[in-house]
Amino acid sequence: MFFGMPLTGQTVSFFLLALLIIASGVMLMTLTKVMHMAVALAGVFLGVAGIFILLGADFVGMAQILVYAGAITILMVFALMLTQKGDDTESPEASTGRSLLTLLGVVVFTGIMLLVLRGTTWPYSQSAVDPYTQPTVVLIAQSLYHTYTIPFELLSLILTAALVGSVVIARKED
Amino acid sequence: MFSWQATPLRPLTLLGMLIGVVVVLALVLGIVTYLIYFERKVIGWMQGRIGPNRVGPLGLLQSVADVLKLLIKEDIIPANADRALFLLAPVIAFVPSFMVLAVIPYTASHIFTANLNVGLLYYIALSSLTILGIVMAGWASNNKYSLLGGMRSAAQMISYEIPLGLSVLGVVMLAGSLNLVTIVQHQATDRFGWYIIPQIIGFVVFMIAALAELNRTPFDLPEAESELVAGYFTEYSGFRFAFFMLSEYVYVFAISALATTLFLGGWAGPFLPSWLWFAIKTSAIIFFLFWVRATMPRMRGDQLMSFAWKVLIPVALFNVVLTGALSLIG
Repeated sequence: MFFGMPLTGQTVSFFLLALLIIASGVMLMTLTKVMHMAVALAGVFLGVAGIFILLGADFVGMAQILVYAGAITILMVFALMLTQKGDDTESPEASTGRSLLTLLGVVVFTGIMLLVLRGTTWPYSQSAVDPYTQPTVVLIAQSLYHTYTIPFELLSLILTAALVGSVVIARKED
Repeated sequence: MFSWQATPLRPLTLLGMLIGVVVVLALVLGIVTYLIYFERKVIGWMQGRIGPNRVGPLGLLQSVADVLKLLIKEDIIPANADRALFLLAPVIAFVPSFMVLAVIPYTASHIFTANLNVGLLYYIALSSLTILGIVMAGWASNNKYSLLGGMRSAAQMISYEIPLGLSVLGVVMLAGSLNLVTIVQHQATDRFGWYIIPQIIGFVVFMIAALAELNRTPFDLPEAESELVAGYFTEYSGFRFAFFMLSEYVYVFAISALATTLFLGGWAGPFLPSWLWFAIKTSAIIFFLFWVRATMPRMRGDQLMSFAWKVLIPVALFNVVLTGALSLIG
C-alpha cells in the first residue's frame, strides 16, 4: 500500500509517467537552448501517450507518439536547424515583482484546481483495468465510419482544401 | 493472460520482468553480432572475396572482437559539441529499436510477445522516434557533415514512413486487426494463404520503404561515406558509435521480423517447430536486404524524394483502394 493506493504496475507506472511529464515540462520552461527544449517537449508528449495507454486508450496513445513525439518534434527541430543563427539564449531574469505575481497566480490556480477536483464525484467502476468491451481501434473506427461518417468526410475535405490552399499560397511567393 | 496492470507489484514480479528484458537483450545482441558476420560473409561472397576468416573458426568471432574493440576505445566528445544532447542522442536512437521487438510474435506460444491490440501501430510509432535521435546526433556534433547527414536522414525517414504505413494498410484490411498475433492467425485461414500473394503490391512497397527507413543501400544517402564522411555519426567513437550501429542492425532484424509476420505467415509452417520457421523466413528477408546492398548502386539525391512522393505513395494508395474493392466483391 502506498498512501492508501494498491501498489500495482498501474500505480507505479502512473507515478513514473507523471514524474516524466512534470520533469520534462519544467525542463521545457527552464532550459535556454531551443533545441534542448524540443527534446524536453518530446518527453512531455511521450509521458502523455503513456497516460493515454494507462487509461485504456491505446490507439490514441500510439497516435500521440506517432504524430506528436515523432512528427511534430522532428518538424520543429527541422525548422530550428534551417532558421537558427548564432546565439539562441534567452533574455535575462524577470523582476521580483513579476516573480511574486507569478507565484501568486500559481498558488491560486493550484487552490482552485484542488477545490474542483476534490469536489467532483468521479465515475468509478469496479473492474477498472479494461473498461472497453471491444478493442479501442474497433470502437473508434465504428464511430468514425458509421456514426459520424459525414462530419468526418467533411472535415477531411476541409483539411485537404487547407493543404492545397497553403501550397498554392506558398507557390505564389516565388 | 497475465495482466501487469492489476497484479500487485511484488519484488518477485519485478525480478521476473527484469530477467525477461535481460534475456531478450542478450538474444538481440547475439543476433546482431551474427547478423554483421552474415552480412560481411554474404557481401564478400557476392563480390568474389572471402570475408572475415581470421578470428576464431571460419571467422565466427570477428564481430565479437570488433564489438570488444569498440567498447574499450576512448569515448571522445568534441570540444564544441553540445555535450548533453551528444551524450543522449545514441540512447534516443537505440531505445525504440529495442522496444519495437516487444510486439513481434516469434513463436506460436508467445513467450516474449506483448499481445497488443495496436501492435502494428506501436511498431510504426516507436520506430519514428529513432529519427529524433539521429537528427539530434547530427546537430549536437556541431560538424557540417554530421548536420547534413542528420537532415538528409530526417527528411528521408519521414518521407518513407508514409509509404511504409500505407503499404501495411492492405494487410490490416484483410486481417481486420492491428494485432500482429491476430494477423498471423488470419493468414493461416485466409483463402489465398500468406498475405504476400493477395498483397504483393503492398509487399513490394513495404520492402522498398523498409530499405529507405533502414538507411541502407540503395537509400544510404544519410551516411554516404564518399560525400559525407559517415553522416550523422561522424564524430562518434567507442561505445556510442557502437550504439548507433547496434540500433541500425536491430532495426534490420526487426523490420525483417515484421515483414515475416505481415506477409509470410509469421511462425506458421509444417513439420518444423514454429520458432525455426520464423527464423528461416526472417533470415530469408535479411538475406534479401544484404543481397540488395551488394548489388545496387546508391540512389541520386534528387530522385529520392520524388520517388517516395510520386511513385511509392500513389502505388500504396492504389493498393489500399484495390484491396478494399476486392474485399467488397469477394
